Amino acid sequence: MKIGFAAIGAVAAFAMDDGYAEARPVSYPGDWTFMQKNNGDYYSIHAHYSPTFRDSIGLYSERNWSEDWHFTGVQYNRLLKRWNEKTSQANVYLKGGIGQADPFGSGSVELAGFVGIGADWETRRWFTSYEARAYDLGFDQTARQSVRVGVAPYIGDYGDLHTWLMLQVENQPESETPTTFTPLVRFFYDVQLLEVGYTPETERFMANWIVRF
Amino acid sequence: MTKTSFVIAAIAMAFLSPVALSQSDPSDTAQLEATMLTVNVKGMVCDFCARAVTKVFGKNDAVEKVHVDLDNGEIHIALKPGASLSDDELETLVKKSGYAMVSVDREVS
Repeated sequence: MKIGFAAIGAVAAFAMDDGYAEARPVSYPGDWTFMQKNNGDYYSIHAHYSPTFRDSIGLYSERNWSEDWHFTGVQYNRLLKRWNEKTSQANVYLKGGIGQADPFGSGSVELAGFVGIGADWETRRWFTSYEARAYDLGFDQTARQSVRVGVAPYIGDYGDLHTWLMLQVENQPESETPTTFTPLVRFFYDVQLLEVGYTPETERFMANWIVRF
Repeated sequence: MTKTSFVIAAIAMAFLSPVALSQSDPSDTAQLEATMLTVNVKGMVCDFCARAVTKVFGKNDAVEKVHVDLDNGEIHIALKPGASLSDDELETLVKKSGYAMVSVDREVS
């Protein structure tokens, strides 16, 4: 059944984001971003608007199958610090959301929120990022964190199809499988970013999609 | 237009053009010249960075065309005839895009 949900989520992901966006949660002034993330354990949709390159605000919804809850709310992201270098860029972000959450099947809804921090460092060849997020769901508290490392097998020009090979290590202490390793491939073309991966520990597929407009 | 009349028209234009230019106000000629700018930038490492720069600069009234060279960390800007952008204005646009300006090279074509 879990594999079934993952498959449905993966298909949905192709039709509509993710870790790149989690690490890069703001865009350029006036830009809208729509992102969907699915790894079989949870499925999320995040749509946001960036009034400046430092801020974005939008809606976030997450359905967490591994912990049986659903959250919907408003999310604000803030670029705390950016280091621009000749051949690299590094960022630190603060994220926060407030809204409502409900445990599956309970019918009750509670005030909920989360805070998170993200950081990344990227060149045209190498990529690494870290994200941690803590939730207070009213009826429960939970947290997760993830690290990514990636390499681009070739360096494309602006406008080319860019490909990245990555490994994500995710830790969800309250999950049935707390630590997972997910090899994934990222395709980045024009305004679209697609990631496809597989997590052997849970036997689930990852499929993330981002579009900016 | 026949091949012969096209050749005659081309020859006539070749002779008349220098006359027309020599009779025009020098300031008018300057207006026709397109200024090319090369802005050296730090922090541009991906297509998304390039897109941000292209969008922000593209919205500026003085800008005719923008090209981003990720390999060299450069933004190439063609200004509209008669338009100008000061170094301060360029730095503001680069910062608004999220990056850091290093230097500007100007070329009048």
